[in-house]
Amino acid sequence: MNRSEFPFLGFGVGLRRPHYAHVLNEHPAVDWFEVVSENFMVAGGLPLRVLQRVRERYPIVLHGVSMSLGSTDPLNRQYLVQLRDLARRFEPAWVSDHLCWTGVGGHNLHDLLPLPYTEEAVSWVARRIEQVQETLERPILIENVSSYMNFAHSTMSEWDFLSAVAEEADCGILLDINNIYVSAFNHGFEPKRYLESVPISRVVQYHLAGHSDHGSYLLDTHDHPVCAEVWSLYETAVRRFGKVSVLLEWDDNIPEFATLEAAADEARTRYKSAGREGPNEDARCDRA
Amino acid sequence: MRPRLGDLQSLLYRLITATNGVEDGLVTERKLPPDGICALVRGNAHLSAVERVEIYANMYFYRLLDAIREDFPATFGVLGDANFHNLITAYLIEYPPSDPSIGEASRHLGEFARNSPSLKKWPFVADLIRLERAMVEVFLAPDAQPLGVEEMRAIPTAQWCSLRIAAHPALQVLDCEWRVEEIVRAIAHEQPFSAPARDARTILVWRRSYSVSFRALDDLEQSALRMVGRGYPFGAVCEATAAERGDSATPAAMSRMLMRWLSDGVLVRMQS
Repeated sequence: MNRSEFPFLGFGVGLRRPHYAHVLNEHPAVDWFEVVSENFMVAGGLPLRVLQRVRERYPIVLHGVSMSLGSTDPLNRQYLVQLRDLARRFEPAWVSDHLCWTGVGGHNLHDLLPLPYTEEAVSWVARRIEQVQETLERPILIENVSSYMNFAHSTMSEWDFLSAVAEEADCGILLDINNIYVSAFNHGFEPKRYLESVPISRVVQYHLAGHSDHGSYLLDTHDHPVCAEVWSLYETAVRRFGKVSVLLEWDDNIPEFATLEAAADEARTRYKSAGREGPNEDARCDRA
Repeated sequence: MRPRLGDLQSLLYRLITATNGVEDGLVTERKLPPDGICALVRGNAHLSAVERVEIYANMYFYRLLDAIREDFPATFGVLGDANFHNLITAYLIEYPPSDPSIGEASRHLGEFARNSPSLKKWPFVADLIRLERAMVEVFLAPDAQPLGVEEMRAIPTAQWCSLRIAAHPALQVLDCEWRVEEIVRAIAHEQPFSAPARDARTILVWRRSYSVSFRALDDLEQSALRMVGRGYPFGAVCEATAAERGDSATPAAMSRMLMRWLSDGVLVRMQS
């Protein structure tokens, strides 16, 4: 996998149901949309029609939540074939999912659970990502999740685990800046250390989102604006990783589309500003 | 201790979905190491190991509750917060989700509600759930070009008898005991509602221009749709319906029914 194989898409937002009409009628000036794959792995109806019309005007990316790459259950072949067919039909810039497990024993928790950070888990997940990439006929990106627990028998840090899996599976990384911040708070590590350790050549996309503060822990709820600390961490990432596509996520208490558009514009402004300060010349960008 | 990945995931699954919470799940758990959950999950001064697993347990339930509530606004409106919460709690114990799509988590809710003792006070709710679930399924059902008024007019009338038709794939017919469609309509329009009358009926749920509609069918339409379902050509549908319904199947009534079907997009034309 070579990062240059992935286009730079600019600054996008997650496409969510309350905004369908606005996006189709007003054609807002965002660079691209990310959609939740499972919402469109359906037989027919409005979602596929909307996606078709959005795709006619914008680049899209398929972002899944149910691949369960880290589960010890067999990979769900039917799910993968459906996803492959969806990707063939809509030609996304890329397909992504999470470095996690979502169920076991044939059951689905519909949540993104962390893995133990061990060599065995690296090998296990990497083999499965290879199988997924073979079925989907394309390299995928894996995203770091927000986590609330880690395991006593882990032998490496989360960032070393993410890097090792991506290297061994030869896949890309979707770096969720908010998830790094949330997990850093919940587990007591320095978030900048995470950014410094992930291989530059594998990072293709960022996620930015809001979270909620529960006092003793942060919860990745995607229902608030991006906080100042996450913006700051994002700027650090821009200085290190250079030209990486950026995506604003908002999944609950979803505001007017203009709010998301403004957040994407802020990401663009900060990107340009941080790019000028950093060593990566190609971080400077105009509208994609 | 280094647990096998599969054992660790199975243990966490059992704890996260434990009926009475993680603490209670730990009491009955037989596959824990001697030092308990702390030997597996790291806790710290801010959050214990148990509290960390509890975060996942809460998220599991509330994410599903929210997703199901979104698809069943009328059921939620009838039962209210606490009763709906209790219904979904009991349902998820019996039918834990297995499909990658969270929308499929409610697939068996109607079946569960039919046999749920906690719903005795609302005997119509099982029908209501079936109708709302059908609306979800129709919304996402396969696409097909409906047979419309203009297309029908373009077919020479001499060919109507042999015209092969079928019900649109995004169409469902539900047999209900209660007038539950009235509640769905009232709640969708934020109108007051009361418990529906017991009145056996057949409800048609269909999709036109990506929006889902529903209505109770009269006897004539029920008979005719049954004939369509048997694969009869259009002429045979009319003849069989007339034979079954007798006087009510007048040419004028059949014509009105056909025009309504064409206008609603209930039929598709089969290729000969």
